[in-house]
Amino acid sequence: MTSFRMDGGTLIDRDDVREFSFNGEKLRGFGGDTVASALLANGRQLVGRSFKYHRPRGILTAGAAEPNALLTIGRDGRRDPNTRATMAELFDGLEARSQNCWPNVDFDIGAMNGLLGPLLGAGFYYKTFMWPAAFWEKVYEPLIRKAAGLGRASYDPDPGYYEKCWAHCDVLVIGSGPAGLAAALTAGRAGARVIIADEGAQLGGGMLAEGSMIGGKPADAVLADMVGELHAMPNVEIKKRTTVFGAYDDQVFAAVERVQKHLAETAINPNRAMERLWRIVAKQVILATGAEERPIVFGGNDRPGVMTAGAMRTYLNAFGVAPGKRVALFANNNQAYQTALDLEASGIEVAAIIDPRKCPDIDYDGKARLIAGAMVRDTAGRKVIKSIAVRHDDGRDEVIAVDALAVSGGYSPIVHLACHRGAKPVWSDEHVGFLPPENCDGMVPAGAVAGNAGIASCFVAGAKAAVSVLGVLGLTGEPASLPGLEQVDDIAQGTVAIWSVPPSKGKAFVDYQNDVTAGDINLAMREGYDHVELAKRYTTNGMATDQGKTSNVNAIGILAQNKGVSPGEIGTTTFRPFYTPVSFGALVGASKGFEFQPVRKSPLHGWAARNGAKFVETGLWYRSSWFPKDGETFWRDSVDREVRNVRENVGICDVSTLGKIEIFGADAAEFLNRVYCNAFLKLPVGKARYGIMLREDGLVYDDGTTSCLAENHYFMTTTTALAAGVLTHLEFCAQVLWPELDVRLASATDQWAQMAVAGPKARDVLAKIIDDDISNEAFPFLAAREVSMFGGRLTGRLFRISFSGELAYEIAVPAGYGESVADAIMVAGKEFDIAPYGTEALGVMRIEKGHVTHAEINGTVTPADLGMGRMVSVTKDDFIGRVMNRREGLLDPMRPALVGIKPKSPEDKFATGSHILKVGDEVSLANDQGYVTSMCYSPSLGHAIGLALVKGGPERYGEEVVIWNGLAGTSITGILCNPAFVDPENEKLHA
Amino acid sequence: MSSLVKCPHCGSRPREEFTVRGEVATPRPVAGADESIWFDHVYLRDNPRGQHREYWHHSGGCRRWLVLDRNTVTHETSNVVDASTLKAEGRA
Amino acid sequence: MRDFLLNNVSPFPAKPDANGHAAVHIAPVSAGFVIHVLGNGAPDESGLTKVLGDIAPDLGGGLRSPSPGQWFWVGDCDISQGRFAEIAGHMPAEFALSDQTHGRVRIMLSGAKVRDVLIKGTMVDLADDVFAVGASAMTMIGHIGAMITRTDVECFEIMVLRSFAESLWHELDQMAAEFNQPHGI
Repeated sequence: MTSFRMDGGTLIDRDDVREFSFNGEKLRGFGGDTVASALLANGRQLVGRSFKYHRPRGILTAGAAEPNALLTIGRDGRRDPNTRATMAELFDGLEARSQNCWPNVDFDIGAMNGLLGPLLGAGFYYKTFMWPAAFWEKVYEPLIRKAAGLGRASYDPDPGYYEKCWAHCDVLVIGSGPAGLAAALTAGRAGARVIIADEGAQLGGGMLAEGSMIGGKPADAVLADMVGELHAMPNVEIKKRTTVFGAYDDQVFAAVERVQKHLAETAINPNRAMERLWRIVAKQVILATGAEERPIVFGGNDRPGVMTAGAMRTYLNAFGVAPGKRVALFANNNQAYQTALDLEASGIEVAAIIDPRKCPDIDYDGKARLIAGAMVRDTAGRKVIKSIAVRHDDGRDEVIAVDALAVSGGYSPIVHLACHRGAKPVWSDEHVGFLPPENCDGMVPAGAVAGNAGIASCFVAGAKAAVSVLGVLGLTGEPASLPGLEQVDDIAQGTVAIWSVPPSKGKAFVDYQNDVTAGDINLAMREGYDHVELAKRYTTNGMATDQGKTSNVNAIGILAQNKGVSPGEIGTTTFRPFYTPVSFGALVGASKGFEFQPVRKSPLHGWAARNGAKFVETGLWYRSSWFPKDGETFWRDSVDREVRNVRENVGICDVSTLGKIEIFGADAAEFLNRVYCNAFLKLPVGKARYGIMLREDGLVYDDGTTSCLAENHYFMTTTTALAAGVLTHLEFCAQVLWPELDVRLASATDQWAQMAVAGPKARDVLAKIIDDDISNEAFPFLAAREVSMFGGRLTGRLFRISFSGELAYEIAVPAGYGESVADAIMVAGKEFDIAPYGTEALGVMRIEKGHVTHAEINGTVTPADLGMGRMVSVTKDDFIGRVMNRREGLLDPMRPALVGIKPKSPEDKFATGSHILKVGDEVSLANDQGYVTSMCYSPSLGHAIGLALVKGGPERYGEEVVIWNGLAGTSITGILCNPAFVDPENEKLHA
Repeated sequence: MSSLVKCPHCGSRPREEFTVRGEVATPRPVAGADESIWFDHVYLRDNPRGQHREYWHHSGGCRRWLVLDRNTVTHETSNVVDASTLKAEGRA
Repeated sequence: MRDFLLNNVSPFPAKPDANGHAAVHIAPVSAGFVIHVLGNGAPDESGLTKVLGDIAPDLGGGLRSPSPGQWFWVGDCDISQGRFAEIAGHMPAEFALSDQTHGRVRIMLSGAKVRDVLIKGTMVDLADDVFAVGASAMTMIGHIGAMITRTDVECFEIMVLRSFAESLWHELDQMAAEFNQPHGI
């Protein structure tokens, strides 16, 4: 007989019939079912194959710890592999498939691995796949990958939306069993801000499976009252389907809420998150996570039909599912007897209770035959259990026919969250389990996790824990009065440790998910891997997706037993987040695809787009890189034209992304004098100056211009790349190094739309929209001041500075007016053949002019290396980088310094990053003369040009060198030259 | 996931709002100081197990430079102050 | 060219406000001013309030402090560049002004679910008793720096750098979608 649905079940709604498929077969369940309960109700006890030996496996638990029943649920982008059937709620149309089996779960070729058992023991990876090394990639790895592994991930993008949220509370209650509920009620009634989170679909935890009465009231009615009161409290936030999976620093707890994972695809709201990642900031925490029931390690303990006693009770009471008609119980503690009582009350025969304790101190008044001092040694049956072999106290063996076996090896408190920050749990002989660490750092354990047993005693513990954290918070509260408290007595579990039973033919599994047996652990010990961390890695015990929830303590127990010490001396492995697996979707949240990172748009973005710009991402910015015209098919067609047009006529370029910083204060000039290596103290009002900032180690940090707009008011521009960095640097200087200076910094990057108007006709264009006199005499090179525009309707800031080397201006206007002003300049410039140009053309022109960018300012260069050594002040007392810039090594005349470079044959090309060698030298690091930092095709000269950092620098103008490209394996002959390819005398600038 | 830093101006904020600069080194030497003192200031850094005094910038909040103790073992941060107070104490 | 039409272009996408029955309204603020006030040391907000009241009593507006000794002076009426220059010229040396009207733009978020939207972006605790009406905080919404000000029980003003405005709008719209289109689009 298989498992089947009977009467009862507090969680299911029999009017809500739900159809689902399992391995393609149509089955039915009810609303409230989990996939596991629905499969059992349909008599499907064999649900998957094991990881290594492909053994038939069933459903072992009814909760988060499930090691066996891992299914792939859903399809296409919504396919979730390795989903625990015990946690997945049943919805209409759900598709579930077994994993790790071929051709199907009933007949699996891989099961022959079982015959290879001796070869696949502990450490087999290390022993079997040692040599030859060449076999690894081609033979071993594909073989292992095919045979092992669990579900397969989908290659389709998940269409679901995910998000991340923050929450805050005074008291976070983790777990909503009796202790958690009592704690939340106590804290809620005292007015504290409470969040209670539970991984289940309903609050209640262990109370959901409780069939008995509490204080004369049915357990489900008591539960309904408690939950109802919590719902009515505005200061209590209830988070169902929410697993708190990690405890992080500073009382931040991470949780994942499965918002819509339990819904049929047709019911999913695409605008609502499938899952939500919560970061919960909690002042105080009550850990009410309960305890995990341990299986017992005996031969054939993995056969479908074997189930933990608590799980069997849950299926019976909460889902109305019977495990079979004739059941045995194998338990070493008193609490498990409740399962036998509940089975009998439901009319299921309990064939025997096998209790290894010789004289169990238990008041059991059921019908089952009690076999004390005995153990189950083995099981039989092909895909479902048919019988058990019992070894009696006197050594006699007896076979008992059963169709299900409930097992209980004691209870392991779920201490994970108390240990995530590094504390170790403490072994308790009394509880035969590891209890939470004594100092849990703002976290108070209550209920089964603290060793309490029985609902009433958990009520008391939870309420007491809440009162204690309320005290810490400065609130006063009374323990919640709850039914059943009058009969509280901590039930003695009477658990007797039983780590393994006498050997038998069948494999005795410790870790079901990773197929680790008691034999593997013994082997690891014999081979010297007896430290708990080594044994874990050697055997892979506890390393599967369940992280050893049902296996770790048994493994520790076996190690302890074999070494003759207490499990406390063996200790546990390290507890790390996450408590249970978390989907990548939840961790990523909304930041994917287009939303991966924010986009920064220039105020001229719309203007550039209307003019046909091709955009390029520069950090977060979208910058216009070139503006193709009809007939231009290749980017260089556009860029070459844009360059020629600027050199011959006039062009307009968006430079709004440059960093802009307004500097105020009585000491602003002194401040600038200290952050730039060149002099700034006497910069007159109305003038701009090019400045170089050094790092304190004497190397160049950034360059840009700063203008004096008024007394004690300066306007600094930085490169786009270092806009944020320079502001941060200046803030450090102002706040930390020189707090005594009156200097105030305001980022103004976003306030201004700024455009460069460059070319011989730039003045003619601007004169049409600027009211003031901008003639060369009135507004010479490096003039900078506010100007009236459009007949006084707008005020802009005009700077006569040039990156292109042409007669050029930069005009800044309030960002909102940027597009209109750019449009106006295009109209004004029509008669002068104005055309927009992008960052590519800008880059070409600055190379033609020998201007540096961060391709040259690469963290290794001094101003002298860039040919600007004379800018470094020798008269200033102090500025950032002054002392270190004078280090001997930085003054070496043979340091690599900036030069221009061009091919000897104009048709030759070369690449950025190429290295420079003397003609005739062998290619070697010792012979390296430097490298090309920037390169472009120069439309002005008609051939490739570049900038390079070369030993000796300007001393070598005219020298023929080899430009060697090690990646392409090519080299050409080049000539070193002055980097100012165009207008070296600066005549255009001053025109 | 995150951890929190108590900004003296903004209150508890997540680590993502901050940028770490590194250890509070020796104070910036006076202009005429010996080169070796400059080398210590620019390059010499401790790498302790335990309390580490560091500069943090509240880049996603008030944009003030802060100084705090970070325990390199427990990650706990404490004693957060505005970094402008250091100079008066001869520590910046 | 003197008569060339000058438009003040909004950085927000040309999208209508959420529909009539929306639980969360997202609306750009198109008028008004934002002026960054930089003090010279000790934060003296009452002194600043008095100075502003003396110099520009007609403008009103509120002060939001992103940092000690710094404020954003935010008001809802438009002021010209000339008026700004006039005010800046009258300020005592202890307060410097930087016009940020175009650089920092504002979005109003309102509705019953407005806090449920914002917790998707910011760590700042927006509970009624912690972040009362009038409170403001410079923080991050997702990856974007922004200043959040509570202007009413169910109304928050978000101030953001102009270049990020479109991205932030898009993110807020997405964060609010489950409340505004509960049954999908």
